[in-house]
Amino acid sequence: MRSAIPALLLLAACTALCLLAGCTGTPAGGTVPADDFSDWRLTLNGTGEEVLTLEDLRGLPAAEGHGYAVSTVGIRYGPYRCRGVDLTLLVDMAGGMGERDQVWVSAPDGYLWVFDAEQMSGEGFVTFNEDLKEIPSPPLSIILMYEQDGHPLSYNDGGPARIAIISQEPGVVTEGSAWVKWVDRIEVRRT
Amino acid sequence: MIRVAGLAVLLLITVALSGCTGDPGGVTVLKVLPAGSLLIPFEEAEAEFEALHPGVDVQLEGHGSIQVIRQVTDLHRAADVVAVADESLIPDMMYRRMEGSEENYTDWYIPFATNEMVIAYTPASRYAAEITSENWYEILDRPGVRTGFSNPMLDAAGYRTLMVVQLAESEYGNETLFASLIGNHFDPPLEVTTDAGVTTIHLPQIMKPSDQDLVIRDGSIYLISLLQAGGIDYAFEYRSVADAVGLEWISLPESINLGSSDLEQEYSKVKVELGFQRFSSIGKERTGRHIVYAITIPANAPNPALAEEFMDYVLAQAEKGRPGWPPPLGKGS
Repeated sequence: MRSAIPALLLLAACTALCLLAGCTGTPAGGTVPADDFSDWRLTLNGTGEEVLTLEDLRGLPAAEGHGYAVSTVGIRYGPYRCRGVDLTLLVDMAGGMGERDQVWVSAPDGYLWVFDAEQMSGEGFVTFNEDLKEIPSPPLSIILMYEQDGHPLSYNDGGPARIAIISQEPGVVTEGSAWVKWVDRIEVRRT
Repeated sequence: MIRVAGLAVLLLITVALSGCTGDPGGVTVLKVLPAGSLLIPFEEAEAEFEALHPGVDVQLEGHGSIQVIRQVTDLHRAADVVAVADESLIPDMMYRRMEGSEENYTDWYIPFATNEMVIAYTPASRYAAEITSENWYEILDRPGVRTGFSNPMLDAAGYRTLMVVQLAESEYGNETLFASLIGNHFDPPLEVTTDAGVTTIHLPQIMKPSDQDLVIRDGSIYLISLLQAGGIDYAFEYRSVADAVGLEWISLPESINLGSSDLEQEYSKVKVELGFQRFSSIGKERTGRHIVYAITIPANAPNPALAEEFMDYVLAQAEKGRPGWPPPLGKGS
């Protein structure tokens, strides 16, 4: 009986491996880079230019709130508990913006989205309840999120940093087109 | 001891062989990416195809047409079938080399359906009893009437709406029609220029109307919801979408509804220049065209044979002209 113990341990280990390895699969079957963000840099460009590391970003004052997005065809993403840096703070680091200026947020996958001053102040967004019925917008903030539901934002979720539109109220859904993933550049454009 | 160790080895082999094929429980997942206006028809096809193919799980993921293609080309996600609402997007965006390969994302596509722009409404819409295919632009211009369309930055139906209204100026001999229905509801008004017979509508970076008469939403489903709730009176939609959700609609003349292959040249006299290049993989200019839906199978599709079966099924169903589906391409289209 004693001589069977190592084999039983091996069997138990294999069973655990089976259960743990269990076919989680690569999401969507694509090539997913490892979540090593040491090379990631965020460029802030306005009247001046500043380049931040992820560590720099996480060292800035944090903003937190509820985030919930919906795609153009009604697919909901969330709800999430979001933590990141208020976009207005990052814009201030780039030299600030005027009333008619715009903030261009882009990512290396070629995606670009633009916010105006009204949106930067948390207004002018369309908001929905969880049933996707339009509701009056509560106060909102745009953040560059690096943490989702208490965990560092993964690459598949747009990490290391993506745009999130947050509210202090739960259940407020916003249009997902503005939730730029993999953000690496924030630029203030003068108009 | 030997038996137990043998069992352990067997388990290890099982782990190695079964490992993460994305095929749990013997179910084959077929990933299909349709444009938003194809979602309802493809949901029907999904249920029917699965009933005919036990062990196959068709998974639909709808997006705007450009985003559909970008899932494959820019985001490198595996997909078995791609179907879009603008055939030109496939050669423009997919006839290029896959990363680390000598093959293109695809070298072919099949045009399979068309559509036309209509004006959708409900019996509760203001002046619903009066609107016709002849007077629609007068009704939409009346005080208090609220009209919606989807964001041209995000949805082909959005920039097609702008084209329809601009083309209507020539159709009705009214040179202020675009400005009064759309352009003047922005501050500053939308800029429209004409050069060598081609009219270009220039959009701002942010599509935000300056009054309550014009409403823009990210996608067509939000316009439908607003129509049904009475938040808007009229919405520019594809005919198949209006049909599928049971809305009333009026048809528009062929010369402006983008539904006739014979009028491609006339349609191409209108362009829309988007406010910014949202994707680096496609420019910001859209040219008026006959609406043609197209389908393809990416060269790196995980299940190409099954994808072809699904595609053939969809093509056969589309050919029948089913209710709520984009109509099949007519002969000569």
